[in-house]
Amino acid sequence: MTNDFMLLFPVILVSLGAIGLMLAATSRCVQIEQAAWACGGLFGFAFLVQLAATLTGDQALYSSLFNDILVVSPFSKAASLVILGCGLFTVCSSLSYFKKNNFSSTEYYSLLLFAASGMLLLTMTRELISTFIALEIMSLAIYILVGYDRDNVLSTEAVMKYLILGAFAGAFLTMGSAFVYGAAGSTKFALIGNFVATTGFLSNPAILAGSFFILVAFLFKAAAFPFHAWVLDVYDGASMPITGFMATALKTAIFAVFANFLLADSGLQQGWVTFLFYIAILSMFMGNFIAIGQNSLKRMLAASGIVHSGYLLIGLVALGSQPVPGSVVAFYLAAYAAGTLGIFSALSYLSGKGEQWKNFDDFKGLAKTKPYTAFAISIFLLSMAGIPPTAGFMGKLYIILAAIQTGQITLAVLGIVSSIVAMWYYLRLIVTMYFHAPERSFAEECPSRIGTVSTLVLVLCVFAISLYPIAL
Amino acid sequence: MLVDLLFTCFAVFSVLGALGLIIFRHPMNGAMSFLVTLVSLAGLYALLSAKLLFALQLIVYAGAIMSLVVFVIMFLNIQPDQLPAEKTKVTYLVAGGVAVTPVAFFLLKVINRLPNMPVSFADEGFGGVKEVGLIFFREWLVPFEIVSILLLTALVGAVVLAGKREKNK
Repeated sequence: MTNDFMLLFPVILVSLGAIGLMLAATSRCVQIEQAAWACGGLFGFAFLVQLAATLTGDQALYSSLFNDILVVSPFSKAASLVILGCGLFTVCSSLSYFKKNNFSSTEYYSLLLFAASGMLLLTMTRELISTFIALEIMSLAIYILVGYDRDNVLSTEAVMKYLILGAFAGAFLTMGSAFVYGAAGSTKFALIGNFVATTGFLSNPAILAGSFFILVAFLFKAAAFPFHAWVLDVYDGASMPITGFMATALKTAIFAVFANFLLADSGLQQGWVTFLFYIAILSMFMGNFIAIGQNSLKRMLAASGIVHSGYLLIGLVALGSQPVPGSVVAFYLAAYAAGTLGIFSALSYLSGKGEQWKNFDDFKGLAKTKPYTAFAISIFLLSMAGIPPTAGFMGKLYIILAAIQTGQITLAVLGIVSSIVAMWYYLRLIVTMYFHAPERSFAEECPSRIGTVSTLVLVLCVFAISLYPIAL
Repeated sequence: MLVDLLFTCFAVFSVLGALGLIIFRHPMNGAMSFLVTLVSLAGLYALLSAKLLFALQLIVYAGAIMSLVVFVIMFLNIQPDQLPAEKTKVTYLVAGGVAVTPVAFFLLKVINRLPNMPVSFADEGFGGVKEVGLIFFREWLVPFEIVSILLLTALVGAVVLAGKREKNK
């Protein structure tokens, strides 16, 4: 019982913190900076609590009371750690971002915590109705954070697009859940898995159609190939810290629940392997193709997010061979999160008021005036491109090794090819920063020390994560 | 069979109402059309002997929420000439229809190939207040509780997006 409470404690902390900040927002005595520190502190504390929790294998929380709906596993613990870490660094980059941009309020941090609580629930839930509600908690909070700057037309357009398409994905999830319930008679992953194991995946068309619709909803939220169109505009419209948060924490939560759903039964996962195989390949190459054509840094990072979703899908295809289910996916998510958050943390204080500097050309000669920041950004980019000894390299290595172990040689080879293609747009920024004469002075753009400190910590994370061993 | 006839009627009306919601030009007509959908859904719930859900659908959705929607529309007092021109509406409707047709065919195919399941009538107390309450608090405690977080998020969001905001200088 005590252990159950400890495992649930991060969610409780984050939700109570969100409600606390929501109430604090009504008071005039609470400054926005104080709220930010409280929010960051909560994320940090919840991270430590989650880190201290011990567990081996799957453990249902309050099994009799919650009816086996919330289950924690080493995989969900790892995903929660990534989410809480992303929250902490997002608060840091928000602090430096809002020194220049003036549309923050206390509710911003409350919504960040609400989003995180939805994400944490999403990693734990093993039941479709709770999945839907947790997904909507997360999405609602993110919609609002995307549209936080009401004076910005781009961000209003982004929130409109995201809201409508997100509702579409939500409808698909509901429809899929209804079909799956109709076939299996339950919405719990365990019972759905039992049903598939006993009657076979193809025996009932409802389970096929239902899981297809559920997959569509997850693929949409993860911005995988046929459902990736929204991602460029939405990332472009959102503010820098929120783009970083969406690219990392949201993706982690979605892939956590995606993996949990596929892990319900190996028959279910095997049934979708071919489908995921093509989606993974198309995501990687379409993402690369789009990213090469971008001039805006944010849009390039959004398109590269599609590519990373492709890699994570390879991890899902190779889910069966891992001794700890999902370990490869969790590792890749952590590695990707460190790199992406780092770059958005640096951009948060570099892009200036109203994000006026956001194209590749604006960063010409950054290395001359700001050598440390340019170096940090290069490290993050190299990690995302997958150059040793960074975390990104290890993540890609594990994913490709897992694919080879499952016998998906084609997927492994195409993954390597895609990472070589990706060098083009990652190295482009490094070349711009190092081999061009500066066109503008970067002297004034460092309003806050917290931004530089968190960037430095993330550089260390990129190397530290790569040293973490996982069994394969 | 009366039940089959009723089901077909409610199903057709709920879809027509939803179509009307997006096709009608004036928001008030859209709202009224939406009401048709909500009432038809209540009818479908009644056919499934979900008594409480039927009552709640009528009282909360068709009653409270609809009057709120209508109140807001009346409050804005929109005249026909204030509405946007919507020149591309037909194109978008046709394109949307074309895009959705494969999904519809897929669904039809799935439904037609469903294996015959044994059908049994619901128990005596099914769908009553007591039974729903017991199920909520015994089996579905987690979703029931986390919905409150969802509603709070929506509340904060509404305040943030629509409320007056003090500029921090």
